[in-house]
Amino acid sequence: MVPESIIYPLGENALVLDPAPRAAIDYSLQSKLCWIADSSRNLAGVLNAVPGMNNLTLYFDNPERLKSGEAILQQLWDEAEQHSLPQRNIDIPVIYGGEYGPDIDNVANAHQLSVDAVISLHSSARYRVFFIGFQPGFAYLDGLPTSLHTPRLSIPRQQVPAGSIGIGGEQTGIYPSQSPGGWQLIGQTNLKLFNPLQRSPNLLQPGDIVTFVPVRSFTS
Amino acid sequence: MMHIDQANSHITIQDLGRTGVAHLGVPIGGAIDRQALTLANRLVANPDNCAALEFSAGEFTIRFEIDTWVALCGGHFDASISNRPLWNGWRGKVNKGESLYIRGPKQGMYGYLAIMGGIDCETVLKGKGTDITNEFGGHHGRYLEAGDRLNIGVTALGNFSRPIGAVQRANDGILRALPGPELALFSQFSKKAFWHTSWKVSNQSNRMGTRLDGQPLSTETDISLRSHGVMPGVVQVPPNGQPIVLMADAQTTGGYPRIACVIAADLWKVAQTRPRQALIFQHISPSQAQSANYEWQQYHYRLARAMDGS
Repeated sequence: MVPESIIYPLGENALVLDPAPRAAIDYSLQSKLCWIADSSRNLAGVLNAVPGMNNLTLYFDNPERLKSGEAILQQLWDEAEQHSLPQRNIDIPVIYGGEYGPDIDNVANAHQLSVDAVISLHSSARYRVFFIGFQPGFAYLDGLPTSLHTPRLSIPRQQVPAGSIGIGGEQTGIYPSQSPGGWQLIGQTNLKLFNPLQRSPNLLQPGDIVTFVPVRSFTS
Repeated sequence: MMHIDQANSHITIQDLGRTGVAHLGVPIGGAIDRQALTLANRLVANPDNCAALEFSAGEFTIRFEIDTWVALCGGHFDASISNRPLWNGWRGKVNKGESLYIRGPKQGMYGYLAIMGGIDCETVLKGKGTDITNEFGGHHGRYLEAGDRLNIGVTALGNFSRPIGAVQRANDGILRALPGPELALFSQFSKKAFWHTSWKVSNQSNRMGTRLDGQPLSTETDISLRSHGVMPGVVQVPPNGQPIVLMADAQTTGGYPRIACVIAADLWKVAQTRPRQALIFQHISPSQAQSANYEWQQYHYRLARAMDGS
């Protein structure tokens, strides 16, 4: 049964499709929304199609598009049932702890776990990319084990190195570029998450299944 | 070719921003005062989206290796070409070998210098604008420095007969805005405070967002929103209750309540308001937003007629 679709405007030029704001976060819904986003991106007058967490925002070039835009969104929503995203498996090599993950002891202490147990829990889970936002290449990952949910740092760091892997509340993620940040840092990867000069600038895309693989050093 | 001889200001290259890449987390970017960039480009007969210089407080000197025309718009900067003044809102001729000196601003925040033919730099992720935070676009993804050389787009030298100037629209500090999706969730007191008290621009503001100081706002009950797409003009209220107007380099998604959206016609006012100056929000309807866009169309139509055959 298709849930009732909810579409509302945001400012003069944008529409939000938010089909189930109060239901639990759902990957099949996300997959539909990402398919709608991909399908609408090339339509006349659509400047951007941005999936959020179980919602989608379409930006148009002109307020007059909102009316027809709503009809198009509704139609795509009705068609979306039969579509899903490609699922790629992406392994992320991580050096956990030490200088690469200065907060791993915090996380271990918060849950009365050993550092090895934190590493094992974090690296044995499978994470799903829901959408990319906040910064270029930053993937919102679903799947952090409940036993690793850890509050953010009370004082954010001024500089977090690119490639850092952190835990913030119920989420885990990888900082694509050096930036300020308040997540507990547990490790670091040498993979480049965002390269503006490449045709596909991001390593990760919605639908990907991410696995963190513990390594001792970044050879190769 | 143009040479930056001295740069004591945050100078970036900007166009009208990037489209079609927000889902990659890439900000819209581009000029923070799109109206001023458009005006500057039109004064030298460039397409609206030509890359130009955007600069904030300070001073700099540019030497030109070619004959060209330039236009200065936006915040009120003092400028001279050799010893001839270049007035704000005007275009002026530059002869090969001459230097342009710019200093300011006396009013506003950001100035724009359009050069006939536009600045010729690489297009990265569908735009030429500099993304300072993420270090790409423009000139090596950074502010311009003394010693930098920039290419100018090839164009037939405009056959302008004279300098010409435009009266730039005044910044009255009134931001016409549409209600945001979460407006109704704010307390009665907060809704009143938002629309009926004035807000001071904080000095924590930058190209990502303009932070406002005033009566703290809160929602009726604690709400936890899921991340959603956001864009320049959206007014977010983080937990400290002090609104942020998202600007050109805003992040592409956010999770704070959206109390309102400043209309595109008035967003330039936010960009050009200095720290500690006041802004107020005016609640309008979508049809009033259309009329506001029409005001800009009329402005540009009058300008085009005035420039006919000039």
